Amino acid sequence: RAGSKQAGTPADNYHLARRRTLQVVVSSLLTEAGFESAEKAAVETLTEMIQSYISEIGRSAKSYCEHTARTQPTLSDIVVTLVEMGFNVETLPAYAKRSQRMVITAPPVTNQPVTPKALTAGQNKPHPPHIPGHFPEFPDPHTYIKTPTYREPVSDYQVLREKAASQRRDVERALTRFMAKTGETQSLFKDDVSTFPLIAARPFTVPYLTALLPSELEMQQMEETDSSEQDEQTDTENLPLHMSTDDAGPEKENTSVLQQNSSLAGSRNGEENMIDNPYLRPVKKPKIRRKK
Amino acid sequence: MNRKKGDKGFESPRPYKLTHQVVCINNINFQRKSVVGYVELTIFPTVANLNRIKLNSKQCRIYRVRVNDLEAAFIYNDPTLEVCHHESKQRNLNYFSNAYAAAVSAVDPDAGNGELCIKVPSELWKHVDELKVLKVHINFSLDQPKGGLHFVVPNMEGNMAERGAHVFSCGYQNSTRFWFPCVDSYSELCTWKLEYTVDAAMVAVSNGDLVETVYTHDMRKKTFHYMLTIPTAASNISLAIGPFEILVDPYMHEVTHFCLPQLLPLLKHTTSYLHEVFEFYEEILTCRYPYSCFKTVFIDEAYVEVAAYASMSIFSTNLLHSAMIIDETPLTRRCLAQALAQQFFGCFISRMSWSDEWVLKGISGYIYGLWMKKTFGVNEYRHWIKQELDQIVAYELKTGGVLLHPIFGGGKEKDNPASHLHFSIKHPHTLSWEYYTMFQCKAHLVMRLIENRISMEFMLQVFNKLLSLASTASSQKFQSHMWSQMLVSTSGFLKSISNVSGKDIQPLIKQWVDQSGVVKFYGSFAFNRKRNVLELEIKQDYTSPGTQKYVGPLKVTVQELDGSFNHTLQIEENSLKHDIPCHSKSRRNKKKKIPLMNGEEVDMDLSAMDADSPLLWIRIDPDMSVLRKVEFEQSDFMWQYQLRYERDVVAQEEAILALEKFPTPASRLALTDILEQEQCFYRVRMLACFCLAKIANSMVSTWTGPPAMKSLFTRMFCCKTCPNIVKTNNFMNFQSYFLQKTMPVAMALLRDVHNLCPKEVLMFILDLIKYNDNRKNKFSDNYYRAELIDALANSVTPAVSVNNEVRTLDNLNPDVRLILEEITRFLNMEKLLPSYRHTITVSCLKAIRVLQKNGHVPSDPALFKSYAEYGHFVDVRIAALEAVVDYTKVDRSYEELQWLLSMVQCDPVPYIRHKILDMLTKNPPFTKNMESPLCNEALVDQLWKLMNSGTSHDWRLRCGAVDLYFTLFGLSRPSCLPLPELGLVLNLKEKKAVLNPTIIPESVANNQEPVISTNNHGQSVGFQNTEDDHLIKETASSISGHQQGVKRKADMPLGSPLEPGQILEKNEDSKVKLKIRFSNSQEEEEIDMDTVHDSQAFIYHHLNMLERPSTPGKEQSSGEINMHPVSAAPLSVFSKESNSSKHSDHHHHHHHEHKKKKKKHKHKHKHKHKHDTKEKEKDPFVFSNSPASARSIRSPSLSD
Repeated sequence: RAGSKQAGTPADNYHLARRRTLQVVVSSLLTEAGFESAEKAAVETLTEMIQSYISEIGRSAKSYCEHTARTQPTLSDIVVTLVEMGFNVETLPAYAKRSQRMVITAPPVTNQPVTPKALTAGQNKPHPPHIPGHFPEFPDPHTYIKTPTYREPVSDYQVLREKAASQRRDVERALTRFMAKTGETQSLFKDDVSTFPLIAARPFTVPYLTALLPSELEMQQMEETDSSEQDEQTDTENLPLHMSTDDAGPEKENTSVLQQNSSLAGSRNGEENMIDNPYLRPVKKPKIRRKK
Repeated sequence: MNRKKGDKGFESPRPYKLTHQVVCINNINFQRKSVVGYVELTIFPTVANLNRIKLNSKQCRIYRVRVNDLEAAFIYNDPTLEVCHHESKQRNLNYFSNAYAAAVSAVDPDAGNGELCIKVPSELWKHVDELKVLKVHINFSLDQPKGGLHFVVPNMEGNMAERGAHVFSCGYQNSTRFWFPCVDSYSELCTWKLEYTVDAAMVAVSNGDLVETVYTHDMRKKTFHYMLTIPTAASNISLAIGPFEILVDPYMHEVTHFCLPQLLPLLKHTTSYLHEVFEFYEEILTCRYPYSCFKTVFIDEAYVEVAAYASMSIFSTNLLHSAMIIDETPLTRRCLAQALAQQFFGCFISRMSWSDEWVLKGISGYIYGLWMKKTFGVNEYRHWIKQELDQIVAYELKTGGVLLHPIFGGGKEKDNPASHLHFSIKHPHTLSWEYYTMFQCKAHLVMRLIENRISMEFMLQVFNKLLSLASTASSQKFQSHMWSQMLVSTSGFLKSISNVSGKDIQPLIKQWVDQSGVVKFYGSFAFNRKRNVLELEIKQDYTSPGTQKYVGPLKVTVQELDGSFNHTLQIEENSLKHDIPCHSKSRRNKKKKIPLMNGEEVDMDLSAMDADSPLLWIRIDPDMSVLRKVEFEQSDFMWQYQLRYERDVVAQEEAILALEKFPTPASRLALTDILEQEQCFYRVRMLACFCLAKIANSMVSTWTGPPAMKSLFTRMFCCKTCPNIVKTNNFMNFQSYFLQKTMPVAMALLRDVHNLCPKEVLMFILDLIKYNDNRKNKFSDNYYRAELIDALANSVTPAVSVNNEVRTLDNLNPDVRLILEEITRFLNMEKLLPSYRHTITVSCLKAIRVLQKNGHVPSDPALFKSYAEYGHFVDVRIAALEAVVDYTKVDRSYEELQWLLSMVQCDPVPYIRHKILDMLTKNPPFTKNMESPLCNEALVDQLWKLMNSGTSHDWRLRCGAVDLYFTLFGLSRPSCLPLPELGLVLNLKEKKAVLNPTIIPESVANNQEPVISTNNHGQSVGFQNTEDDHLIKETASSISGHQQGVKRKADMPLGSPLEPGQILEKNEDSKVKLKIRFSNSQEEEEIDMDTVHDSQAFIYHHLNMLERPSTPGKEQSSGEINMHPVSAAPLSVFSKESNSSKHSDHHHHHHHEHKKKKKKHKHKHKHKHKHDTKEKEKDPFVFSNSPASARSIRSPSLSD
């Protein structure tokens, strides 16, 4: 039975020893059955068969036990396995107690092949009392224990501020210098253009946008705060109409206007008592009658 | 002018009443910046013989006028296009101002005048005699308007909506005539139907209710239909069209806000407060908002920050801000509140005449003040009142007075109530902008004085009464003649006051409203220990300009040891001394608490005071119930007590200003204590900073300890553990935020014994900049950083210069190098991470100019000029322009002055144009008494032309040019000009009429082209003689055969069949004949011109005097076309002398006797004519095409 477990181990010595034991078993069974001698090939074949049979019992038993979320097979696993394999379990006790059976000495203890151990660091923690012993052991401590490796913490506020300030200043200066180097500049001194380079003033097409809108970072925050409102703006009630009238295809600004428009109109439909504002009403189609 | 004061009802200056007007703009072209549309006015004649209808219209090209579907002849004449005519070598401002006032009068709707004169077709005369309704239909277009409507079209890719192109109406006072023909008066009310057809991606916002929006048939455009059923003056009509984002106010669904694309989040935040303003006004006025809806539109390149129109307001988009911005928030809210106050008084309730303007401005300013008091608190309110009072006092003392309610007697110049001014105050359009600002300021202060007299309760009752009368009237039909109840007049307002309150406020009105000037008190006192009496001496200065004598009660508050006591003194003619008995004995009670005015009892350290006197401090007129300036003398310790213990912020501020003169350790202590006191009003603390800096400078030799305010700042704003590092920013407490901003600015003004900014202070400020950390702050620190740059600039002192060496990097002062380092970095960072409203760029530019001025950096305007270009944010441009203006002054640069002046003419933004003139006036390159190489004849001519004709599209700009001219050259002839030639001398005895020799009819032979509505002088004629039906038909039939006719026809959308050209011809015998010739039919008809006068100018301005003859056949047309004199034609033209002699009355004389006089002169001056002609032809019209009307029509003379 134990062999099933070790069937797959590759260590040759160990393997050979087991195999020899199985040969002894087969031989004794043959003797018991009344054979005087047997060809080596026949014994080998029978050994092979018994090995396969035992292996199969082991494999199956392991499956059953894992199926019920255990790691160690129990007796019942084996029984089920045997039944499954078509073995009449009832006969087993009688067979075990038969008179003419031969007792074979246990195989000599060969040293088990040592699975090369993973690097262990420290002692594995024993299971606390509430964890059943059949549960796997804790992994090595180093895999879950935090090992902070900080230097002497810089807790001095002054130094921190100093650092932050000079860092920012350096970044800013480097950045602006780079911008100034790569682009057009203006200078306060006619004889020197590099000491105080000023990035040249460039007019904007829409100057109020950069002047009024918060920077992108700040913008994000703002959007987060009222994103809920914007989500509502997906109603597209009036949108098809709008699209059909817009020759120039999707237009960012307008669509936003109209989406806004339509969304509010939509929400009006949703809540009956809602806003009635003439600017939110849908645009009427022209009457058929011609003007003048 | 033709109105008597105290008139009960309103008498219209017009012979008809307007009841309804339709404005339909069916095409707006953003690319070409043009507008096409029509108006239809429904009018009821009020006199039987109405034959001419005068309307206001500027800039518009008028294609066609129909009255009740009949073609009508019309004449277009606008004397304000060119105020003084071309030939004149007059360059004195007196002359100009008179002529300008006359020109404005000549088209003033409040005098029944207008630029557009429509002749009622003769077929309708009978109809008119029955006083039946007339419908005047006018087709017009507007091409590249320079005023009135402002187009903003960003130059970028995409269609107009993507670009954010928009257009809006704007202007100063009644300026609606700039964009459609109307009766541009605040007193002519009517109902409105407004229609705008715009691109489908655009929104048109206008007055009244949006009835519906309908697509056009091609579905590419939509039409917005507005109805305004509340009678409204044309001047309160407005329009804004653009790809606006729409926000319905979440609190009030009838209120809608509009902003330009991408700004919606800002709009949401900015307008989230508005409903509270609504609630406030409705509550105090106990009156609902009069219109059924309200719209706010935020647009770019605004003319003014706030413009209120009927049921809508147009704001500058720069008022929008996010929740992170502190400084802008109160300013924007103030603007919103102002706009809303004007909805009630100004839009809904309009004024009868210009002289009643003060009532509206006063009431709206007053209720706005009440809102301020409620919103920002009493301290802020009192501070504001004090600030406004100081401003008006300073302005009046400078200029000689602001008159709220001008009454104009016989129209004689001598009666001019404002002879001290260089402009006329008869019309809003002749008024200097600064004067008008001060006028509004004075109006609300006077309203507050009235409140002081009659109590607020009565005051609000009066307002409520005005509003309820108006609302009742507004719902009435026109026929009930109730609409004039919606107009407020001075007399009506005063009557309401006396009805409601039963009090006589006439003396108050007389003093402050009917009279200009403020009161100047000088006070001093002595304490008479024996009698225990305070001997107070109050003197007045009422001889200086801008002052007046005050007689009446004056409150004096005396704080004694035993408490505070009010005394009301009677200021009388000759009494200077007033004895006030004191209540306390000096120094009686030790260690007793001293009761204050507000009932509080405080402990004071009395050791500083005079042992013999129980007086702690004295205040004259503490409630500011007189428009006055008080200079009061009391000892330094009294000021110090006043600063420490008086609870009124105004008193505290006065004490701070007074303490500047007492640089003592005690003053220092008092100021420092105030600075530290958190309960103290933050503005007082801010003021104390600057005072402390001044005192420290005066005490420099004895000053002990660290520089003023440094330890204070460290204690308040720096880290406990490392006092040289400022805490990371946290602006949750606004009071300390403002203090934190201000203190470094004040500290930078400190100077050491060498008159340099102490190194310690400079390093301190540099450290503040270095350690500034805003990462954890909820608010933006852009204003704070900007002020730190201002502080750096304040620390700059003049460079020590060795024989004017050239400024180079090598000899740069190391401190300045540090400063420059920061400025460079800030300015460059702005390009990458721009701050709100670019406040930091603005401060950097200012600082650079300071460095230049102090000789650290070579003086050079190039940098500023690049920032002044169109396309930068307006605040940046203004800062840059200010630097250029300053450069112009300091370096006396002719080139820069020219650059500035060309910008005044060409810049696309009206506000910038106005502001340049304003800045040049405030910081002039030279003044009238100064020798300057800049002052030369060319400049005089240039400025003269600018104000004479170059600024006719913008009243404010023209007045700005006048202000500048006045500052540079004074009232009389500029000294740099050669002596006037004799031939040009004014003939003062003849002031009746002025003739323009250049306005001479052209001979028939020369006229090949029909004139539609203008000529190059803008005095244009589109004359259609509708009497002559047969001619019309002939014209119509033959017009196509004629080349020019074809062209014209193409111009006209509806292909009006009748556009006859007509020529005025004069006969040698000085009898004038009008030849009307239709350009195509070679048929001419001569009309006897009995009543046509021999001068065109005369004709123009007398059109209203012409009466319809009894028989239609004799009808004369007074149309006039051509200005260009043809020397060959013998004409009866006045020479220059007569011309100029009559100039002063030029445009508005209605003296019939004048005709006779003219005839007398005619022969005398005939011979001079040729000379004039030549001169005129030599001199091209510099601004000939700037004035609006029908520019594209070729001038007849040019096509010859």
